[in-house]
Amino acid sequence: MLMHVIDMGHDVYKANDKVAEKNRKKLDKHQVFSVNVMGAIGSGKTTLIEEAIRQLKDKYRIAVIAGDVIAEMDSSRFRKLDVPTIPVNTGKECHLDAKLVEKALDEIDLNNTDLLLIENVGNLICPVDFKLGEHLRVVIVSVTEGDDIILKHPMIFKTAELAVINKVDIAHAVDVDAEKMRDDILSLNPKVPVILTSKHDWESLETWISFIELGVKEAQNR
Amino acid sequence: MHEFSIACEIYEQVMATAKEHGATEVKHVTLQMGRLSHTNPEQLNFCFKVLAEESIAKDADFIVEMIPPSLECDCGYTGKVDEKKIRKNCEFESELLAYAAVMECPACGKPAQITGGRELIIKSIEIETEDQD
Ligand SMILES: Nc1nc2c(ncn2[C@@H]2O[C@H](COP(=O)(O)OP(=O)(O)OP(=O)(O)O)[C@@H](O)[C@H]2O)c(=O)[nH]1
Ligand SMILES: [Mg+2]
Ligand SMILES: [Zn+2]
Repeated sequence: MLMHVIDMGHDVYKANDKVAEKNRKKLDKHQVFSVNVMGAIGSGKTTLIEEAIRQLKDKYRIAVIAGDVIAEMDSSRFRKLDVPTIPVNTGKECHLDAKLVEKALDEIDLNNTDLLLIENVGNLICPVDFKLGEHLRVVIVSVTEGDDIILKHPMIFKTAELAVINKVDIAHAVDVDAEKMRDDILSLNPKVPVILTSKHDWESLETWISFIELGVKEAQNR
Repeated sequence: MHEFSIACEIYEQVMATAKEHGATEVKHVTLQMGRLSHTNPEQLNFCFKVLAEESIAKDADFIVEMIPPSLECDCGYTGKVDEKKIRKNCEFESELLAYAAVMECPACGKPAQITGGRELIIKSIEIETEDQD
């Protein structure tokens, strides 16, 4: 018997990052702007994506990748809005990864897409470590998660490029101060834009949608 | 937790390398893990054991080396975080939180960019092979 030590130096997350980079290049080539929507379970990811689709679908060609743990609940909501939707069943998994998105991209007509919205699995921990190739990383939390949710999940807020605090219409009912949540996010990531939204407040939705539209326009001018 | 998919990736990589080198058994897998990565070493080892049950890696033990986070700041500082501050933060329920709370530049005190500490690297494996003549 002989013993050997074999050096490997294989970085698991870097392997994912490489596929993510490939996805990104592919999207860039087709001038598609892509958004990775992460966030807590039930925080309103699907709702806010639906609102964006409703407002933008006459101006831009939109496709959606929906990560559902089981069934195709969210996918069917997007399909009702008449946009091409690729459901990605993550099964036991708690996050989308670059390989899953790579496969989904094969099913999307990128030549005829301006905006790709990706709903990640509801989870504030696991999606952080897996880049998908997106242009914009969004994290959505809602006031119902309680106001210590942010400091308990620092990494997702540190790496987000846009943070949304949703359901502010019921902040009072759940005894949560949305402004404190905003301060917590800024203490972790002073440069990130933070927006407060409610699905019942049209003006707040417009702010959210205008962020996305800005990205689409930029991608088209590249 | 995503330990299962990570364990799958580790298992595949380890088995490929082990076969390539004619291994009859995998004894150890050495990992380097960033303190800011969301991976739990024990869970990872457990998932790996489940996957490796019928393979030459079924008795492989994990050796985990932790990598502290490193920072880069607008003021020009690059390097590690202030370890003394981390120890002061031990009232936090997890080490990750203690680290994340003090990701500020030791030189100027402003919040700094995280440049390292989130990696998960399969550093090496220790294998057994048949004697060769
Ligand atoms: N009051 C209030 N309810 C909201 C708001 N946004 C979403 N909801 C409700 O919150 C519930 C969950 O919304 P979804 O959009 O399905 O949340 P999600 O994050 O996609 O959920 P998962 O995909 O299951 O993680 C639904 O009943 C929505 O109607 C809001 O701004 N205010
Ligand atoms: Mg949803
Ligand atoms: Zn500094």
